[in-house]
Amino acid sequence: MKKYLTLFKLSFQQELAYPINFVMWRIRNVIQIFLIFFLWDTVFSDPNKIAFGYDKAKILTYVFGLVVVRPIVLSAKSFEIAGEISRGELSNYLLKPLSYFKFWFTRDIASKVLNILFAFFEITVLYLILRPPFFFQIQPIYLLAFVMSLVFAIVLYSLLIFLFSMFTFWNLEQAWGFAFLLLLFTDFLGGGIIPLDVLSAPIQKVINVLPFPYLLFMPLQIYLGKLSFAQTGVSLVTSGVWILILFIVVNLVWKKGIKTYKAEGK
Amino acid sequence: MSRINYYFKIWLKLTKASFLSVLSQRLGFFIFFFGKIFRFGFLYLFIIFLLKGTKNLAGYSLDETLFFFLTFYFIDTFAQCLFREVYRFRPQVVSGSFDLILSKPFSALFKSLATGADVIDFAFLPVIVFSLITVGLRLHPSLGEAALWFVLATNGFLIATAFHIFVLGLGILTLEIDHTIMIYRDITSLGKFPIDIYKQPLKGILLFVLPVGVMFSIPAKGLIGILNVQTVIVSLLLGFVFMFLSLRFWKYSLKHYTSASS
Repeated sequence: MKKYLTLFKLSFQQELAYPINFVMWRIRNVIQIFLIFFLWDTVFSDPNKIAFGYDKAKILTYVFGLVVVRPIVLSAKSFEIAGEISRGELSNYLLKPLSYFKFWFTRDIASKVLNILFAFFEITVLYLILRPPFFFQIQPIYLLAFVMSLVFAIVLYSLLIFLFSMFTFWNLEQAWGFAFLLLLFTDFLGGGIIPLDVLSAPIQKVINVLPFPYLLFMPLQIYLGKLSFAQTGVSLVTSGVWILILFIVVNLVWKKGIKTYKAEGK
Repeated sequence: MSRINYYFKIWLKLTKASFLSVLSQRLGFFIFFFGKIFRFGFLYLFIIFLLKGTKNLAGYSLDETLFFFLTFYFIDTFAQCLFREVYRFRPQVVSGSFDLILSKPFSALFKSLATGADVIDFAFLPVIVFSLITVGLRLHPSLGEAALWFVLATNGFLIATAFHIFVLGLGILTLEIDHTIMIYRDITSLGKFPIDIYKQPLKGILLFVLPVGVMFSIPAKGLIGILNVQTVIVSLLLGFVFMFLSLRFWKYSLKHYTSASS
């Protein structure tokens, strides 16, 4: 445990080693939010309008919720795994007395902590500039379920990164390609660009079978109280089942992948 | 004329090499091509569902909103297709291999900007052009309005070129930022929808300071037929000024290149 704590501290320092890069990365996140915010602000220009099951306060809370939930769930350094496999740098870790996945999970958590700190600063600034109406969830049961869904989402996303990164074992040249696919699916099928309930019911049904909506969309739906207690339970259970499935698959793929690994590039 | 021929031959040769390099990795080509189609299709579908639910966006109908979106995609993808080399520029400065480009008997700007065309975007362009023409025809533009769209879209492409040159210049002046081109992409992505959705002062900034509105929204408005002469003149003027400033900035950056890593 102590070594992972040290690793956490080191990762935190490393994140801040290139401050301009980090700030630029955060600015990019804010710019992306502007598009979504003003789009929905225009759609709900009539403050009494209700569309797609949202009123103005709820849809803008969804947008601002993304500013908070994205860094909690999606900030991750473990995207570097694919590059390490393709460059043969994985060998260095195999010789060390630590778990490769715990190593990257620790680094992910350090990245999340730093990004969350900045996200709270950004949301304050954005709030002061844009002055949107907010929806505050006050029911403890929904708040608890929201926190649980976030914890599940963090684990789920790490497992997805591990899985997509490990495809590189069989396609060394495509390290970035698989990451690109994961980022795309997370943004679009996870509700990172638009709330998925804008889409038609059949499309939503298909998307809900996948793990991606449980990363951003479902936690925010729970916070907004748009799911009943039963639906909230189903959402958490589905997320848990996906974690279990991915945990098994990641272990299997790792065992197979490591047998094909030739440390090419080293 | 012979100078244009000379550069065209270089471009053709390097583009061929760039295409072959990407096509040699078939899986990679299909992953990225699928990704682009998926992203485009998803957003297209989203606009349809959104406008079905709300009837209009900032006063624009479904087809008009789609046309704004497609104009953005067309100019943006065309620029990405031609200027992919910009994404590979910073590592060359960091490693010092930019020195080798400077010593070649042709423009370093031309080499750094336009010689690594992207075959994936090239393959994606017909999909956008087909959608653009289909939706554009549904708006029943006159020949004059279609011509105006073409002129203003060319102007938008000129501003996109200027932005890419600014990114190259920044890449020389500061080695600390490696997201510059992605920040450009994020800013221009604000032009996916009509500029009218933004409020002041952001709307003003997007029209005159970082002219995303001039790049993408103004051409679409030209085809819809809701532009006045002053806006057209100011837009073309902005395109010219941006291009001029970007070229000056490039020259300024080159003078400050230190070749530190070589």
